Amino acid sequence: KDGKKDNLGLDEEVKIKRKRVNVKLDEARLLREDIGIPKLRKEAPKRLKFKGKGHEYRDAARLLSYYQLWADDLYKKAKFRDTLQIIEKLGHSRRMKMERESWIMESKNKTSGDTQDKD
Amino acid sequence: LSKLPETVDPMIRAHILSLCSALGGTSTVEDGGYSLGDDALACLKDLKKWLKLYDQKMNRFDVARCMAEANLVKGDLLEILGGWEEDEIEDRIKQRLALGCVELLVPLTWPFERYNEQSTVNHHRHIPVLRFAQAAYKKAILQHPSKRILSNIVRIALPSVAMPPNERTERDEGLIKLVLYFFRNLVMIEHPMVTETDTGEEISRSATIGALKEQNVLHFLLFISSKVGNEFNTQDTVTMEVIYHLVKSVDIEKMFLTDEQESQKQGQDLTTLLKLEDEMKRASIRGASTRHNRFGTTVWIERSDKTRSFVSGQGALLGKSTGLDKMDASKKWKKPRGADTKGISRKTEHDMSLTLERRAKAKLREFVEDFLDAGFNPLFSHLRRAIDRDAQRLVESNQQQYFYLIAWFLKAERIRRKTLANSEDPATADLESFSLVASVLNQESLITLNRRMTEWFDTKQWTPLQSAMRCFTQILLTVQDMVVSPLEDDQEIAENIQNRLFYEEVTLDLVVMILRSYTRQPFGWLDDCTEMVHVHLKMLERFSKQHEHMFIRSRKRARAQRKKNVTGEDGAEGVPEEEEDEELAEQSKAAMKERAFDYSRFEQKFLTQGCLDTFLAFIGNYKELNYSQMKRAITFFHRVFVKREQEILMFRIDTIELFNRILQGPDGLPNSHPARQEMDQFFKHYMRRLVKMLEKRPELYAELLFTKVNSTMHYLQFGYNKQIKVSK
Repeated sequence: KDGKKDNLGLDEEVKIKRKRVNVKLDEARLLREDIGIPKLRKEAPKRLKFKGKGHEYRDAARLLSYYQLWADDLYKKAKFRDTLQIIEKLGHSRRMKMERESWIMESKNKTSGDTQDKD
Repeated sequence: LSKLPETVDPMIRAHILSLCSALGGTSTVEDGGYSLGDDALACLKDLKKWLKLYDQKMNRFDVARCMAEANLVKGDLLEILGGWEEDEIEDRIKQRLALGCVELLVPLTWPFERYNEQSTVNHHRHIPVLRFAQAAYKKAILQHPSKRILSNIVRIALPSVAMPPNERTERDEGLIKLVLYFFRNLVMIEHPMVTETDTGEEISRSATIGALKEQNVLHFLLFISSKVGNEFNTQDTVTMEVIYHLVKSVDIEKMFLTDEQESQKQGQDLTTLLKLEDEMKRASIRGASTRHNRFGTTVWIERSDKTRSFVSGQGALLGKSTGLDKMDASKKWKKPRGADTKGISRKTEHDMSLTLERRAKAKLREFVEDFLDAGFNPLFSHLRRAIDRDAQRLVESNQQQYFYLIAWFLKAERIRRKTLANSEDPATADLESFSLVASVLNQESLITLNRRMTEWFDTKQWTPLQSAMRCFTQILLTVQDMVVSPLEDDQEIAENIQNRLFYEEVTLDLVVMILRSYTRQPFGWLDDCTEMVHVHLKMLERFSKQHEHMFIRSRKRARAQRKKNVTGEDGAEGVPEEEEDEELAEQSKAAMKERAFDYSRFEQKFLTQGCLDTFLAFIGNYKELNYSQMKRAITFFHRVFVKREQEILMFRIDTIELFNRILQGPDGLPNSHPARQEMDQFFKHYMRRLVKMLEKRPELYAELLFTKVNSTMHYLQFGYNKQIKVSK
């Protein structure tokens, strides 16, 4: 058999080891449909039901735990408060600001469209 | 023999040691008393030359170290000083000797500067040792059995002090200064490292005050400060420094309590503390495991998409939020925070507080009251003039100390009045006017304060700014007390001062800018800053309500000014009062509206995220806050949220998390905390509004994560656009 070749290992493919990429919480991740803010926008209004007056603490806990789980899915590594800080900082970028405005515009058009239809 | 490098050149050590032993020593004949060497005076002079020409000139500490090794201070200098009997005042030789001793003691006790560019290896080698040596010097001086070291040192200066100022030579002036510098050094020395066996009790502030009082040094200080500007001109800064190091970080309120009150208060404090601890214990038991620690419980939290997070430990069974807390706690990653290269977050002297011993407290109180009665006005008005013309004798820290002291004494005066009013029945209570502290309330002082504040703010010198902020707050509070004074003169003056304080728009804006500039300054800074803002806003609001005709001088339109010059920072450009007056007189009704609008427009400046964040950072320290501090923050939130209805500004998920943690968290405010109820009310109101808002405008769910943008804020709040185009 071709013992020689095997010994030299010339035929084997050269494997290049890549350094593991650290997951980073950046705009791209924050805007991902499956875990980012789009998911929050879609889900939150449906899933979160508040009781209002007399149940303030329960409502707060409910809201916070929802956000905490969402933040955990978004960025496993960091604690809740740190994640919030990172997100808040990202919100200052030009792209995020534009996205945020467009989200608000979207819902504004929707509501104003509804009222116009009714009229 | 030893391979260790010599700390000091052996030749120098030999020289110093021989000089020290030539100075004198314990006598074998006279009952073991001290007997002087034949050439003692010359030895003292030689030693002084060594210190000056070797140590100071070459920037080393070798000689000082050798002197510490030779036990020069305790063994010789103090013996010589203590040997100067009371009936020997006129003895010229003894006086010369004593002076020689002080001339050595002053450089030996001189405070070390922080290590800087000029420090050498020698500094790092010697200073740690010398610090301990200085502590030992101080101890020896305070505890010397003759009990007259300090008074003898005062005596050295007395002949020069007694002379009329125009007859004093330069040497006399220097002599007075030398003695004062000695006291400054003495008061300043602190124990470098307090341990269990060496508590530094002997040289503590209480012990220092005791010794200074007993040996008449406090009287000497009072005398000098009451004659500053009159008989003493260049000694003002040193005198101030001594007083500064004497009173810094002393708890004023405690100082004015009588023994009975204090013991009562201590009892109460202990009870509340024990109660708090009890509550804390109970809270921790509630979350603790009821089984042994290897009981091994695993819980999963399932989400809507059927994914699970696992949490171990029984505690997680208690509730959803504890489970989530545990999940968070198990995360190891920490958000990297930038290094604090400038040392902004480092604690400073201003952030300490100190409680005195009972006896020392009474002595200091007496000194403080006497000083307020006699020395306050002369000393501080003289210093203010020195600061204004940038006198050469001022060192960098002097201005900071100046403002710190003003704040301290104003507070002391206020508390003194309060205790006086409480203790006696108001009819007999001696009602003095505020003229005792008038020198710091005049127009010039306010201008100086204002200028320094602006300057320090611009150059980001936070610690000096902190002392200026304190001073400003105390001035405001004093004026507030003057307003309710029964004396008409006081009321009138208070009115005037307020007019001046609130006249310049630049000053008003400075307060806002300082509040916004908080980054990572220590807690004390935050406390002082928020207090200043709180007091300032409250007073301004009341004042503007009382005065429909309130004028402020604002800068000209920003546009016009930018065209002219870029630098126009402190220029007095502005509409002169008279012109404005006439203008307003013509259209009186319209003008009144304008003024009512003024305050709210000013308040508007506080309704920004930057200001809010500072207060949020402040309340984040809720565990350390007392009732009035909590109340201060809640008032501000109330101002934003309820009074000005800027609700949307406060709706942020981290704010909710913080409030929830304060009230509901495992280490939140205990139930017995006096501010809890108000916080609770506010939070409930806040949550109700939030829930309503979320139902009305679901787009807020995403916006909760961010600081709001101006362009969409109005829409989020009211549901319609404020005449603006949203760029896309």
